[in-house]
Amino acid sequence: MFRKVLIANRGEIAVRVIRSLREMGIASVAVYSDPDRTSLHVRMADEAVHVGPGPSSESYLRIDRILAAARVRGADAIHPGYGFLSENAEFAAACEAAGVTFIGPSAGSIRAMGSKTAARRSAIAAGAPVVPGVDHAVTAEELRDFARTHGYPILLKAVAGGGGKGMRRVDRDADLDSALRDASSEAERAFRNGDIYVEKLIERPRHIEIQVLGDRHGNMVHLGERECSIQRRHQKVIEECPSPLVARYPEMRHAMGEAAVRAAKAADYYNAGTVEFLVDQEHRFYFLEMNTRLQVEHPITELVTGLDLVRLQVEIAAGARLPFTQDQVSWRGSAIECRIYAEDPFNDFLPYPGKITRLTRPLGPGIRLDGCVYDGWTVPMEYDPLLAKLAVWADTRGNAIARMVRALGEYDVAGIRTNIAFFRQILEDPEFRAGGLHTGFIEEFFRRATPPEPRSDAAAVAALVAALHSASRTSAAAPPSVRLSRWLQQGREDLLR
Amino acid sequence: MKLTLQVNGRDTSIDLQASAPAARFQIDGSPPREALIEIAGPGVYSVLLDGRSYDAFVEETPAGLIVSLDGFRFEIQVKDPRRWTRAAAGRAGEGVQTLTSPMPGKVVRLLASPGDTVEAGQGILVVEAMKMQNELKAARAGTVLTIAAREGATVAAGEPLATVG
Repeated sequence: MFRKVLIANRGEIAVRVIRSLREMGIASVAVYSDPDRTSLHVRMADEAVHVGPGPSSESYLRIDRILAAARVRGADAIHPGYGFLSENAEFAAACEAAGVTFIGPSAGSIRAMGSKTAARRSAIAAGAPVVPGVDHAVTAEELRDFARTHGYPILLKAVAGGGGKGMRRVDRDADLDSALRDASSEAERAFRNGDIYVEKLIERPRHIEIQVLGDRHGNMVHLGERECSIQRRHQKVIEECPSPLVARYPEMRHAMGEAAVRAAKAADYYNAGTVEFLVDQEHRFYFLEMNTRLQVEHPITELVTGLDLVRLQVEIAAGARLPFTQDQVSWRGSAIECRIYAEDPFNDFLPYPGKITRLTRPLGPGIRLDGCVYDGWTVPMEYDPLLAKLAVWADTRGNAIARMVRALGEYDVAGIRTNIAFFRQILEDPEFRAGGLHTGFIEEFFRRATPPEPRSDAAAVAALVAALHSASRTSAAAPPSVRLSRWLQQGREDLLR
Repeated sequence: MKLTLQVNGRDTSIDLQASAPAARFQIDGSPPREALIEIAGPGVYSVLLDGRSYDAFVEETPAGLIVSLDGFRFEIQVKDPRRWTRAAAGRAGEGVQTLTSPMPGKVVRLLASPGDTVEAGQGILVVEAMKMQNELKAARAGTVLTIAAREGATVAAGEPLATVG
């Protein structure tokens, strides 16, 4: 087993990995950029190495500096987390060349699955169903032909893409050229590759993915599904296991699981990976892509299976065999995760970095919180707005929803804006509770839902508190219990600057 | 003490007859009510009103106070003399649009200069945070009067960045 592992990442996932390493008795090495010097992963790790300034292209994406840090600290292995270098085949190969184990699949598997079009070809070869589309970069002329054959709407996607960048829906011929131009230039900026491919658009699809796990001895299992249909800007914000659809049609888990394992095996895959599917309204599923890394939403799979995926990743990378067979995998209860972002859901989900001035975390039965936030920390504006992942477990989906609503109510973050209150509205929504999910759910929710009403006296209490608060700031003779705290004085001085 | 508040855009008057911990108050001339109030932390108020418990969280922002309660946000402006002046100053220039930053971030690009004639919907500058760019656009056609921000400058949410008249 490894003695020391470097985590080539930051934020909540670096903290998550450090936790498992510590439980395994393995020393952890953090890397950090200038604005991350006081971030939690640096404070929690056993060792930490500076790798550059704020922009990730000069720090977290610098293969040379990450490997130098591993060498200097004597790390045996590198965990890439998700994002950054996690799906970079060149990085995986460079680790192995430097004699450091990459905790993930082989560079070859990453390459085979990293390009969406190559992944699509592997999936087809493995007999997994795919959405009608082409598997190469297209010209405007080919797009027009495709639309004639399959009909609108169609979806343009970046060959090198992910996270919704370079993605455009097209509904008619007239919009085709400008959509291709926009998608291509966005992809060029995001991935330095402007190639675009096309798929038939599935209306109101569900996004359901399968977690797979394989060792380096040819054994592979699936750990069931996660439904991630609740998305904003093509990014997942709520995930759950079981999927409410799969709960109704349990044979789907087996069918999708088998298809996922076949596709992964076709790419000689090992370690943890996720095969994503779109599911149409007739419950047909289509291979979408494979993520060759640990997924953000892995905690819900851990909650229902009782496994520690990071520990398993580390053990598999060290050469261990899978400690269980497919028949031994079981699922218990229901888990839901909400991604807590520094953003304003009521202003177009715009990011909202800044200093956290007050923080109260949810506690109590069935709560799991993976985060990187602490009171007084300044959320840097350079990186992703993910602050924490709040996950709950309960025996049934209904109880898990009630538990999540309860937990969100206990969660208070001040100084920045977050999507915490928004999640409460989604989870209280009858459509959500009925399990009628699809990837356009949030957009529709904003159109159809009436904003919830606060308790009848809430506005009066808010007015009273505002009056007392402002009186305490302006009156020198404030009663003792509302005298200015040093923090408030500071805040007031800032306002007057 | 009588105060005029704007609670989520609605004018509300409050007459504070006794302060914390045993507050007595009248809202919009309705009968007086009593509430028990303790401060549980910086900006955290525990309020007991008619036997019901409320935890209210106050944040101070340049635009006023934000009180969060049961997951609801109340944006509240307290109309004291100093704030009156400011609001009045904003209103003085009818027809002048002030473009404010929608989020904390960095000004990454200026797309227009003072004196430029711009059309409705034309981009004036771009603010970026957390890998997301947001283009601030002129709501109506006009002339760029001022640009308050420099490229590379860090800005707060709500900070005025440009005026178009």
